[in-house]
Amino acid sequence: MLLAVENVTAGYGAGPNILEGVSIEVEQGKSYCIIGPNGAGKSTLLRTICGLLRPRSGRIIFKGEVLNGLRPDQILRRGICFVPQDRSLFPEMTVRENLLMAGYSLTNKRELEDRIQAVFEVFPALKERRSQPAQTLSGGEQQMLAMARALILKPDLVMLDEPSLGLAPMVAAQVFESIRRLKALGMTVLLVEQNARKGLECADWGYVLDLGRNRFQGPAHMLLRDPQIAELYLGRRMDTRRREQSRSPEQGVEGP
Amino acid sequence: MALLELIEVTKRFGGLTAVDRCSFTVEEGTITGLIGPNGAGKTTVFNLISGLIRPDSGKILFAGEELNGKPPHMTTRMGIGRTFQIAREFQEMTVLENVIVHAQTRGLPDLFKGSILREEREKAMGLLEFVGLAHLAHEEARKLSYGQKKLLELASALMADPKLILLDEPAGGVNPRLLDAIMERIEALNRRGTTFLIIEHRMELVMGLCNPVIVMAYGRVLAKGTPEEIQGDPRVLDAYLGAA
Amino acid sequence: MIQLVQVLLLGLMLGGVYALMASGLTLIFGVMRIVNIAHAAFILFAAYLAFWAFKIYHIDPMVSVLFTMPLMFFLGMGIYKLVFPRIGESRQFTSMTVLLTFSLALIVEGVMGFLYSGIYRSANPPYTTRALLLGPFYLPAAQLYATLLSLILLGVLFLFLRFTRTGRAIRATMQNRTAAQIVGVDVERISTLAFGIGMALAGASGSLVSFLFTFFPAKHWQWIGTLLALIVLGGMGSLSGSVVGAFLLAVVAAYLGHFYGPTWSPITFYLALFLILLIRPQGLFGKKLEA
Repeated sequence: MLLAVENVTAGYGAGPNILEGVSIEVEQGKSYCIIGPNGAGKSTLLRTICGLLRPRSGRIIFKGEVLNGLRPDQILRRGICFVPQDRSLFPEMTVRENLLMAGYSLTNKRELEDRIQAVFEVFPALKERRSQPAQTLSGGEQQMLAMARALILKPDLVMLDEPSLGLAPMVAAQVFESIRRLKALGMTVLLVEQNARKGLECADWGYVLDLGRNRFQGPAHMLLRDPQIAELYLGRRMDTRRREQSRSPEQGVEGP
Repeated sequence: MALLELIEVTKRFGGLTAVDRCSFTVEEGTITGLIGPNGAGKTTVFNLISGLIRPDSGKILFAGEELNGKPPHMTTRMGIGRTFQIAREFQEMTVLENVIVHAQTRGLPDLFKGSILREEREKAMGLLEFVGLAHLAHEEARKLSYGQKKLLELASALMADPKLILLDEPAGGVNPRLLDAIMERIEALNRRGTTFLIIEHRMELVMGLCNPVIVMAYGRVLAKGTPEEIQGDPRVLDAYLGAA
Repeated sequence: MIQLVQVLLLGLMLGGVYALMASGLTLIFGVMRIVNIAHAAFILFAAYLAFWAFKIYHIDPMVSVLFTMPLMFFLGMGIYKLVFPRIGESRQFTSMTVLLTFSLALIVEGVMGFLYSGIYRSANPPYTTRALLLGPFYLPAAQLYATLLSLILLGVLFLFLRFTRTGRAIRATMQNRTAAQIVGVDVERISTLAFGIGMALAGASGSLVSFLFTFFPAKHWQWIGTLLALIVLGGMGSLSGSVVGAFLLAVVAAYLGHFYGPTWSPITFYLALFLILLIRPQGLFGKKLEA
């Protein structure tokens, strides 16, 4: 077991719990997609794993070590690479400089060069644009660069937070293609996606979260056929009956 | 009677078309739900209706009158009330003062009246009682819990006697007990004639409270119907799960 | 026609020094979002040091750069570590730096006044009275040497930022502080370093100011307005912008001074500040500032 999240609760600042006891398991070499309705806590989960948020209870165990309370750069050094929603690129630096910065913590210059070349093999489009400032790249290419940066550090686990967010469908397709390429390289990928279909297509296993809790999980390609999905996203049929009941005059409060 | 009508409304932000020839109506006396996946344009529609932003094209009619990009203080006077996704109370003021501040003034003579009128204070207290916050009237607003702030927002919006209230995610971050309280208040107000248009992600609230339900995706209206119809419509689930 | 080109040359030669002064301020703002109101005061402080070295030890002000830069570098790092961690990461950080550095400026001014009194000073090595002749144009030697030195220093700065690992880390921190943290940059260490470098640039500027201008302890107030105008014009946080802005405004000031009299030159900077904020608040090269 590469990563085990055990019954973790977490929230922002002094606010309420966003995660109410979530558990997931990640095995080396496989890819996972976390889906769920809005507000499920999917992004919060990734942020907690990578150290931007501290778990309020529960444990996060990576390669046998408990990660609770470590700083993001410490967790980075232990092998988890997080690609946040806004990609966090250096806009005025070229593609190559962004990759150089990604390898900032590597002291061996030759090693860094080799890795940059390796990354260019995986993403030839980036090699073409290596001298262009990051901000001139298209949305899909920027996402590619963000993933390439993650690869420089040869992490054990790559976590992607809504990589297709804000991208037009055709551009998003590029992104999912890049994710599939990561998978093909044997990388362990943990993905959070709003676009459940596309996200699950890139994954071996899927987790469904709602309101900060696990709902169910299963093989990615079969997950969406589960009838519970419709209920989760669109509510139970039972809820509509509440409406009928509330129309009766005895119930409810009077107006102001 | 259609209280609110959107006709082919479009709004672009730079290269992104947030609202794309969107048309729907909200009938008077209903609690209408507005749902859809993230980025569907729902909050932008609210901003267009309440006047925070102007449409690039299309028309918005309220009670038959064209809004024509009127700013928020004018739409409030016309009878459109609005609450926000993230409760925006005036932190340094008391709960009661927060509500009173929303009283509508009419013109120059109001400038010379005393700072808080008795009838305004009484009305505000009445509204606070209605939402169940009367016992906190003299507390600083920032001390309220998140759910209580949402109730405060509702009371504040009611100060202007709106005919239509736009509620933006009233249930977000609210515990179940307060959620019931909020739902009951909405129903009570609706029985007395207030129309509601509610953006909400919590389906138990939408399906249990709203009829009809409008579904938006990619800036346009995808479907409109009763909750049962919406739940049974495969296109709606498709919109949430993402394009294949 | 010859006159116009002459004025242009005079402007360009002052522009180099302005650019050097502005670059330190820009670096400090760009990396740490600190608006260093005390920057001009530190420039003057270095000017006094250079003047004193000239007066007592007969060290040429241009040579004094060799010690004002390292001195100010370490002083800068010390001041940074002492003062700024106290205001931490509050939401009103930048506004607080204004107040903080304002008081720092007053302190520095007080120290200078105490040590050197309010007499107007100026170092006058022999080249301040010489001029070189280039065809029909004359180039005052002092300004010429100063600008050449400024350009050399700016060039070194540019190379450092562009091609060294640390320089890259500084640029990265300027562009996206969070991303820099994510890739493992120690942003606190980089900030301290950047403040030191900014101060070193102020030190060099001070050495040049010592013979280019007449100064007294309170003169920094006049300078800081000019400098702020320069970096707003260039786009706050953009080094290339501040350099371009400096040359641009120096030339415009030269022309205004020429056509309307010397009292009108200073107005250039304030007028530019006003217009830029009105028309294009992000400056020539700046990005649209987010909330």
